[in-house]
Amino acid sequence: MTEWLRNYPTAVAGLVLWAIGLIWLMPGRSATAPRAQTLGLLITAAGLITFCFSCGKPQAELADEVMFWLFGVGALLCGVLMITARNPVYAALWFALATLSTCGLFLLQSAPFLAAATIIVYAGAVIVTFLFVIMLAQQSGAAGYDRRSKQALPAIVSAFVLLGAITFTLQSDTPTIDIPEPVAQSDRSTSESRDMAALPAELIAVVPAVAPVAPNALSKADSDHPVGNMKGLGRSLFGDYLFAVEIAGTLLLVASIGAIAIAPRREQGAL
Amino acid sequence: MTPDDQRFLLVGAGLFVLGAIGFLTRRNLILMVLSAELMLHGVSLTLVTFGQMHQTNEGQAFTIFTLTVAACEAGLALSLVLALYRQSHSLDISMWSELREPDAVSPNSDGPDGVSAEVAPGYDHLPTLTPAGLVPKDPVRSSATAGKTASARS
Repeated sequence: MTEWLRNYPTAVAGLVLWAIGLIWLMPGRSATAPRAQTLGLLITAAGLITFCFSCGKPQAELADEVMFWLFGVGALLCGVLMITARNPVYAALWFALATLSTCGLFLLQSAPFLAAATIIVYAGAVIVTFLFVIMLAQQSGAAGYDRRSKQALPAIVSAFVLLGAITFTLQSDTPTIDIPEPVAQSDRSTSESRDMAALPAELIAVVPAVAPVAPNALSKADSDHPVGNMKGLGRSLFGDYLFAVEIAGTLLLVASIGAIAIAPRREQGAL
Repeated sequence: MTPDDQRFLLVGAGLFVLGAIGFLTRRNLILMVLSAELMLHGVSLTLVTFGQMHQTNEGQAFTIFTLTVAACEAGLALSLVLALYRQSHSLDISMWSELREPDAVSPNSDGPDGVSAEVAPGYDHLPTLTPAGLVPKDPVRSSATAGKTASARS
């Protein structure tokens, strides 16, 4: 632990700065003047940029680098602004921007389908949230419960202890992941035939000529189906996870029935 | 784990923690729902990065399921918000602290900010929990009476 503190001073400094800025920005503190708000925001931004800098020097191209800094820092900054916004309308807007930044990070991690799906799903969600905010929260100006936060200091401190622990684990422990090389079809058939040659002739007819496959073999990426390819993702979803897809559809059905059952009836009167 | 993947994991962890802070500190029901969605964003980013590290599509398939569950959660949460708003005419979560057990400490009284719930007049009929944890009976006597009633019944 102390070794980590010595080796990664930037991570610790970034976390501490970030937490201080967040405590400063939380509603309910004395910082209500716009200038104090700007100062808190600057401290927060400096903290999280330092935090993102703390993980070595990546060997990425310049374009990837620029995109990561744009989207990653953008997502974290929009998240900070969302949870500290006094007005729920602004919070919903910042949430939409954080979602867009996350979709940009998905694109960088070669998940274009997920980026598109997330944008489509959350566009509807954000619009509905907007409607709710305008319908429910904007009837009598800014409410008192939006101008004060409950127990901000313990929540922020414990959450940042958690984030520090995650960062410590990520930076002190670097597991090596050996990705199995995709076995070419010809290799497998030759090795099979060599194994078969050792067996008596009458057994060869009985033993099915199927190579031992790893579980979830359809999800593995190979040269035909690189990671994030629509074809490979579809094979994974409807091959390995077909049952889970059915369960997810049932879950959506149950959730929509539950939402209709929970929502107030028309005969119970207007809001 | 390359530094490139590591920083994506760091951003995912940061998003998760920010959502947790928002969920714990804000008192607006809609903002709490949005904070939970922010936590799910962080988890999705982590899953996608894991899939990229292992060179499989499983991370992305899992993220699609996360997206499904997030959609269900948003629908249920918003209808719950509507139902709660009809009862209390406010989005304040502290109005529902009456649901706690009677002997528990009020979450509104011990805040360092002196936060207090603004209970609207005329809404004191909201449901409350009955106190949990009855005093357990003497096991010997209760078993004896149970045996007696069983024998009487037979």
